Amino acid sequence: MNQITKEMRDLARELLASGEVKGLIGWTKGSRWYLTPPVVITQPEEAEQLYFDQFAVNNLTGLLLDYRYGDDKIALFVKGCDSRGIVRLLQDHQIKRDNVLVIGVPCMGMSDKKAVTDPRQPAELPLLDKCLECRYPNPVIADRLISGALVSGEPSEPKGLTASEAAKRGVGSKQADRFAQVKAIEAMSADEKYAFWQAQHEKCFRCYACRNICPACNCRECIFESDKKGWVNKSATPTDNAFFAVTRAMHVAGRCVECGECERVCPMDIPIMALNRKVIQDINELFGESDAGTDLDGKMPLGLFKNDDPEEFM
Amino acid sequence: MQRLKAFPKAKLTAVLETMSQKATVWVPSMIAGVSRFAPYRPEIDIQMGTNTAISPKEALFPSTEKIYTFSAYGIDGEFEPVDPSVGLQILFGLRSCDMQGILCLDDVFLTRGYVDDFYGSKREATTLITLGCVTPGADCFCASMGVNPVEHDGSDAQMYDLGDAYGIIARTDKGETLVKDLMATGLLSDTDKSQGPTSDFVLKVDSEGITEKLQQMFDHPLWDELSRKCLNCGTCAYLCPTCHCFDISEKKRNQHCGVKIKCWDTCMFSEYALMAGGHNPRPSKKERVRQRFMHKLRYFPERYGKLQCTGCGRCIAKCPVNLEITDVIKLAGEAKKDG
Repeated sequence: MNQITKEMRDLARELLASGEVKGLIGWTKGSRWYLTPPVVITQPEEAEQLYFDQFAVNNLTGLLLDYRYGDDKIALFVKGCDSRGIVRLLQDHQIKRDNVLVIGVPCMGMSDKKAVTDPRQPAELPLLDKCLECRYPNPVIADRLISGALVSGEPSEPKGLTASEAAKRGVGSKQADRFAQVKAIEAMSADEKYAFWQAQHEKCFRCYACRNICPACNCRECIFESDKKGWVNKSATPTDNAFFAVTRAMHVAGRCVECGECERVCPMDIPIMALNRKVIQDINELFGESDAGTDLDGKMPLGLFKNDDPEEFM
Repeated sequence: MQRLKAFPKAKLTAVLETMSQKATVWVPSMIAGVSRFAPYRPEIDIQMGTNTAISPKEALFPSTEKIYTFSAYGIDGEFEPVDPSVGLQILFGLRSCDMQGILCLDDVFLTRGYVDDFYGSKREATTLITLGCVTPGADCFCASMGVNPVEHDGSDAQMYDLGDAYGIIARTDKGETLVKDLMATGLLSDTDKSQGPTSDFVLKVDSEGITEKLQQMFDHPLWDELSRKCLNCGTCAYLCPTCHCFDISEKKRNQHCGVKIKCWDTCMFSEYALMAGGHNPRPSKKERVRQRFMHKLRYFPERYGKLQCTGCGRCIAKCPVNLEITDVIKLAGEAKKDG
């Protein structure tokens, strides 16, 4: 058992035994060596199920939405990238600050399970692109910290127990590539762009995994669940799928915390983050650079009016 | 007993060309970065090595279909049915799990006194060619669900992987016609080779007695535990070769005209069981997760005498939170009946 896992279990046991929290969301070892999926526990003895390694890729913050109408206090573990989801949920008034206990963990960078060649034999795997591009390896918000994790609301170097491992594995080494895919698509002709997105939207079958895992997709009733209003419909055609994809991207505009979970869970490998990043790039150009979900007290660019805001359409 | 015929793997394109002269041939291929069955065309990127990421059910049960178009002005209403039939088609290189999946769909759409024309017309027009598996994928567990990965007797013709060649043998008249057409081109020759057993599975589970066990577990606390991490997305259902739920809705052009459509739906969605008036008998993740696994492993076997999970492993491969049906079977099997 690694040190982070041990500290996780000890803290979880203590929090659940003392009654400080009613439930705790963490990760557990999955059915294969390259899987470390979420687990929700409620009893101190279940703390033994917790586990952390370079496959604990899931952002757990979206699961807090299940508790948003209750009064139970829930604890959960966050990596740097995940922690921005907590700020998202708090700013969107989806969870009460007193009802969540955020535990920050240091992150060594998550490995890409798509590179697995032998499901029986553990092997070194490359980092996920999102970890190579990572700018927030440390939690931006936390009530408790384990394994030397440190809170940082600014882009920073990996800290804590896994700092040197993270650096060695290349966490944050390709930050400059963050908008590379956006630039590549922008360089296409209009016809090429259309063909590219058409091929992507043809694949979508509306499973809504992207929406359901997203901490920013927190509408009580999603517009795509209410086709009776006649604005949207259920048919999975390229046109309707494009309408879904663009609507979703615009609904999280200025609020997307770049955890990349939408793209990771897409069973059709649609490059959803390219759309999100395009919107982020535009917001940065129009209103100045900012990172959503990093400053609890800060104003969101699209939630704030300034007299000198660009008004090209007026 | 007819002898096994074979064609070299290098001649695959010629075989598909021959077949596609008479029918649309759905082949496993890479389309915009995702492996799925798609109509053969010369430039297609064929992927015969492992099973497709997306189930072939879309060839028989598309995610969206038009039912009829309508227009209504005052008391004058008209509607025009949409013909659901397709031309002749071949599903080429189906794996045993997906063949078993089609047998499940047959049960739902063609038996018990009602034939669904949307499915039935396509099924009738389709020739199914199965292909034996040599190496199971990382998420495969068909053998645990009583499916033989080497061959399936539900198809019209069976292909075997013979290393550098594919063996083929007809099982039905449809299959016989197809093999004869290939014989006529000179692409086939006799062979004495046979496909060996499939290599060992990474995932295994004992599904013996799961239906009977689940009959006593409707109120079991296991469903609470299992459902907590579920996102209630539709990934599992939409990748599943046997999930067959659809919802009827409409696409209106304006307040008078439009088209009635049927689209895939899933018990995972919160609005799936929502009734007029607002009551939802499956109000939380617990009821939805329970329904999905109960349907696969209990209700379907009770009604049709076969498990509705064929071990294709797609839901396991793509579940965003790794809620794996093999774990569900294992945990339900181990659970104490009263919780």
